[in-house]
Amino acid sequence: MKLNVKIYRYKPGTEPHYDTFPVEVPETANVLDALERAWADHDMSIMFRHACHHASCGSCGLLVNDQEKLPCVTPVTDYGEGATLKIDPMRNMPVITDLAVDASVVYQRMELIGMPIIRNAETIRPDKRTILPEGLETFGRFENCLECGLCLSACPVMATDPQFLGPMTLAAAERLLAEPRGADVDRVYRLVDDEHGVWRCHSSFECTEACPYEVDPGAAIMRLKRKIGMRKLKRFFGGS
Amino acid sequence: MVEKQLTRERASSWSWILQAFTGIMLVVLLGLHMVVQHFVVTGGLRNYQQVVQYISNPFLFLLEIAFLIMVTWHALLGVRAIILDLGLNPATERKVTAFLSIVGVVVVAYGIWLSATIVAQGA
Amino acid sequence: MASDVQPKPVKRKPIEWFNLKGKRVGFWAYVGMRLSAIGLVLYLFLHLAVLSQLAVGPTAWDNFVALAKSPIFLLLDVILIIGILVHGLNGIRLSLIGFGIGVPSHKLMLWLAVILTIVFSILSALAIFSETH
Repeated sequence: MKLNVKIYRYKPGTEPHYDTFPVEVPETANVLDALERAWADHDMSIMFRHACHHASCGSCGLLVNDQEKLPCVTPVTDYGEGATLKIDPMRNMPVITDLAVDASVVYQRMELIGMPIIRNAETIRPDKRTILPEGLETFGRFENCLECGLCLSACPVMATDPQFLGPMTLAAAERLLAEPRGADVDRVYRLVDDEHGVWRCHSSFECTEACPYEVDPGAAIMRLKRKIGMRKLKRFFGGS
Repeated sequence: MVEKQLTRERASSWSWILQAFTGIMLVVLLGLHMVVQHFVVTGGLRNYQQVVQYISNPFLFLLEIAFLIMVTWHALLGVRAIILDLGLNPATERKVTAFLSIVGVVVVAYGIWLSATIVAQGA
Repeated sequence: MASDVQPKPVKRKPIEWFNLKGKRVGFWAYVGMRLSAIGLVLYLFLHLAVLSQLAVGPTAWDNFVALAKSPIFLLLDVILIIGILVHGLNGIRLSLIGFGIGVPSHKLMLWLAVILTIVFSILSALAIFSETH
């Protein structure tokens, strides 16, 4: 399959621009393979992150034709013979060079919220016979989160508000509050019940669309809003 | 090492809940307002005499003021929400909230004054 | 040294709020909400200013009403109603999902809001143009 990859280029001290390279890859290839072809055949100064090549590490997050993707599991057949793939670095994170961004945005937020419990084994697709652990209302998908940052890239609020916790963080908070296991729940509520916590979310659901692993942070945020709202109303009307 | 902006002082907020509440009130009050002001009198819109007659009814006076409070509150909460999306520093955000609150009070006061003036002019 | 490299800082760009490239229906709803909000706020202040003509007196107000019945004005009224419908119907959707109600059906709710917007816009346009004379 023949394709063109149009790659965002930036080296410190120079102006950003796009370089377009023709590549040929097998029909079964993924976008990351096409990118590596461009690197190998045309320009070895192209900088991009990649590690596991199978949607496990979350390193390779990119924009392909203005949509957040994990290129290691995005088939080239999604785009068709002769297509031009515009490859950009993830949004809302500082660009170090070319397609490599400073992803500390991701790690700082996870550190702030506290790592939610991750089980050793959890069913990905719960069947009707699976019993929910005590305290969980529904099977969240947070265990699937790769910390790839694509949701933070897709979110329109992250584009203008550096203080916003962001979809991934709020989904992590929701997971933690659903099953705290001794975590400081009040601390987490204080972080999320804040103008730059959950209340900056405007329900665009681009985070859910971007997530390569069906974590559905959008839905998690709605559940979190409900939790916080009910807690506030209860307290306001004299409950606890 | 978590960046400074993330660890800013956080505070519980009712703004979204109020936004939703005033919004739902408006679904009813705005709907009523539109029907009453556009489809009740012959010809749709009220002329001066018809406005005086309408607003001189105490119940309708209060209803219109309640509507004004809901719509102004919802509108200014909304403007504030858009500004807060810019992630400004806490001191600036407090000034924005204070300013918009003052605008809100002024607008509602203007509405009450205007309605009372029309009633008085027509009496 | 590689660690001396300063990344290109992220600039705050509000124009990105309205950048539809690659975005899907939920984002379109959010843009519609924001644009209709801005339009309606501007309308609110305009409307309150115009109402001051009532304090000026009967002639001033009745002159305005005559103007308000002109076809251009009626068309602007219809645009206003479209703005109200977009904002109000989607607002009901946001209030529901923001309290965790109906979240899996949020796209369905959105399409319902779109259909109701179109239907009631047409009905309102018909009503306005026939009623006002």
